Amino acid sequence: MKTEDMLKALTEAPGISGAEDDVAHLLRNYFARLADEATIDKFQNVIGVKKGRTSGGKVMMAAHIDQIGFLVKTFDKGGFIRLAAVGGHDPRVLPGQSVVIYGKEQVRGIIGTTPPHLQKPGDTAKITSLDDLYVDTGLDEITLKSKVQVGDPVLFDNVCTELQGGLYAGAAMDNRAGVLVLLETLKILEKMRHDWDVYMVGTVQEEVGTRGAAMTAYEIAPDVGIAIDVTFGDFPGIPERDTAKLGKGGAVAIGPNFHPALTEKLMELAQEWEVPFQKEFIPRPGGTDAVSMQIAARGVPMVQVSIPLRYMHTTVETLDLKDIKRAARLLALFAAQLEQTHREVLG
Amino acid sequence: MKALLKKVVETFGPSGREDAIRQLLLDEIKPYVDRTFIDNMGNLHAVKEGKGARVMVAAHMDEIGFVVTHIDEKGFLRISPVGGVAPVRCLYQRVLLENGARGVVGVESVKNPNDIDFSKLYVDIGARDEKEARKLAQEGLFGAFLNEMTEMNGLITAKSLDDRVGCVIAVEAARQLKKSPNEIHFVFTVQEEVGLRGAIAAAYNIEPDLGIALDVTGTGDTPDAPKMPMKLREGVAVKIKDNSLLVPRRVKDFFMRVAEKNKIIYQPEILTFGGTDAGAINLSRSGVLAGCLSIPTRYIHSVSETASLSDIEEAIKLLVKILESDVKKELED
Repeated sequence: MKTEDMLKALTEAPGISGAEDDVAHLLRNYFARLADEATIDKFQNVIGVKKGRTSGGKVMMAAHIDQIGFLVKTFDKGGFIRLAAVGGHDPRVLPGQSVVIYGKEQVRGIIGTTPPHLQKPGDTAKITSLDDLYVDTGLDEITLKSKVQVGDPVLFDNVCTELQGGLYAGAAMDNRAGVLVLLETLKILEKMRHDWDVYMVGTVQEEVGTRGAAMTAYEIAPDVGIAIDVTFGDFPGIPERDTAKLGKGGAVAIGPNFHPALTEKLMELAQEWEVPFQKEFIPRPGGTDAVSMQIAARGVPMVQVSIPLRYMHTTVETLDLKDIKRAARLLALFAAQLEQTHREVLG
Repeated sequence: MKALLKKVVETFGPSGREDAIRQLLLDEIKPYVDRTFIDNMGNLHAVKEGKGARVMVAAHMDEIGFVVTHIDEKGFLRISPVGGVAPVRCLYQRVLLENGARGVVGVESVKNPNDIDFSKLYVDIGARDEKEARKLAQEGLFGAFLNEMTEMNGLITAKSLDDRVGCVIAVEAARQLKKSPNEIHFVFTVQEEVGLRGAIAAAYNIEPDLGIALDVTGTGDTPDAPKMPMKLREGVAVKIKDNSLLVPRRVKDFFMRVAEKNKIIYQPEILTFGGTDAGAINLSRSGVLAGCLSIPTRYIHSVSETASLSDIEEAIKLLVKILESDVKKELED
């Protein structure tokens, strides 16, 4: 399984928060090939378990499989659809997008907008809110309603595009990039000795409040947790201190959500094995699975590694494949010697 | 049902002070269940035994209100909200304190109505001065709004339909329920208005296979309302999403299937704000399948919350039919 092919398959599989079935099944099939067990729970969380030599502890690596999208909210006269947001959208990037409605059958549509010629002076400076946007499918109201119901998921029509220099762009890189890190880590662990059992979890409903991570971390009750997500990649016009650089490795999170000694150990390992990495400072509980994993069950010591990603929550989220491979190498090294680390740091 | 609803909406019970409403609901539901108990949080549990799926039906019995924070030298009370109370909706409303004192909400003179916030509001309890006021009320007392239930052309208008209407649906369903294979926990939860707190503890305790919240939802059927599919008189609303919950497809489909089979009038609910006890149940332990039956309601969190009697009847019918089905089988993948 080539990394590039898995990225394309993972990002193009639909998986809006709350209806992650397609991407969940794809991931389970990948886990079935790389881990000892692969299951899907009743909320579509996907769990792959790779047994260790001693099974002396459990490490849970979580990457969310859901993506932001919309639900059909109401029908307007003439067959237009109004949308309810699932997850955080930037209304600036919505007009002019192609979408797919997952109704009784897939229905294609576009998000319409007023042409510049018909706008009033000053309109271009205004941002149209989601409430004022609509989807045009070309179908009349009656035909439309026979195929589409209130509550059906709507996603951007997504194609994963290879740019130059090893960069890839598309929707849902947040957080299929993290999911790919889980898979690449498993590939490396196949050739390594590791003592602890490794639980790879594709979590659901992160974009609406890190819900799948809360459920699975309670169920698994790991000794150490690792959240894998995306972080803001560098691009023109944004201060360097707020971003991580594409191509410079995974970003290791530092902040109150993350166990200081385990985090330190992770960075020591990176230096020892010359795996490029960056630091990311998260001064207050952030928006990743780590926030709910940390306080699940009796509490879980956490670390977090993020893939730098430009243009988050758009259809052109852009990343460097190198960062995924480097993050995976680091996490495999970390997981392989966790029994010893845990004894030193938390024992 | 109407007489019960009137009694229930007019009973005092802001979040944290649910004693009176809990006693009333206990008396009402006791004849129809096998056992009742009150848990550490103050949630009232009424259980019908069964060998099948364990189903938690949650309706919150608390209402929005306020707490007295200060008594000034002229004998007026200052208050702080309990739950989502909009300051403008308090103006000139009659209120009741937990010790039985009555009052009315006044406002300092403001140039711009948008400037009204809780620092500008006070409660007039008829006291001549601070000394007299302190005999009638003390800091730390909880209060709630007063209003009588009225009917208008098939609609009812009352305070605290949120969520006393859910409590009444639960009691009525318990009364009408004939044969059920399920173990049903009717839970009248506390402190929903301050963060779904009663339901969190109750769900952890019960470990249900399915959670069903009964609550109110907004509508898109008033002048210049936000675009929402819900309308009064179009039946019970089956929730698809709100900010606390994405209802799992098999739960939503199960509810809609039962409605269609029994010719119960229902409508889909998509709410882009707010949450219910179902959200808390959903996140309990390693996750619980949960859904919500809602009553479309206008003017939520005012003293004139308005809903349709026919929608409430449909909700009772649907809940009864859901609880009478083999929930375990219906929820299979």
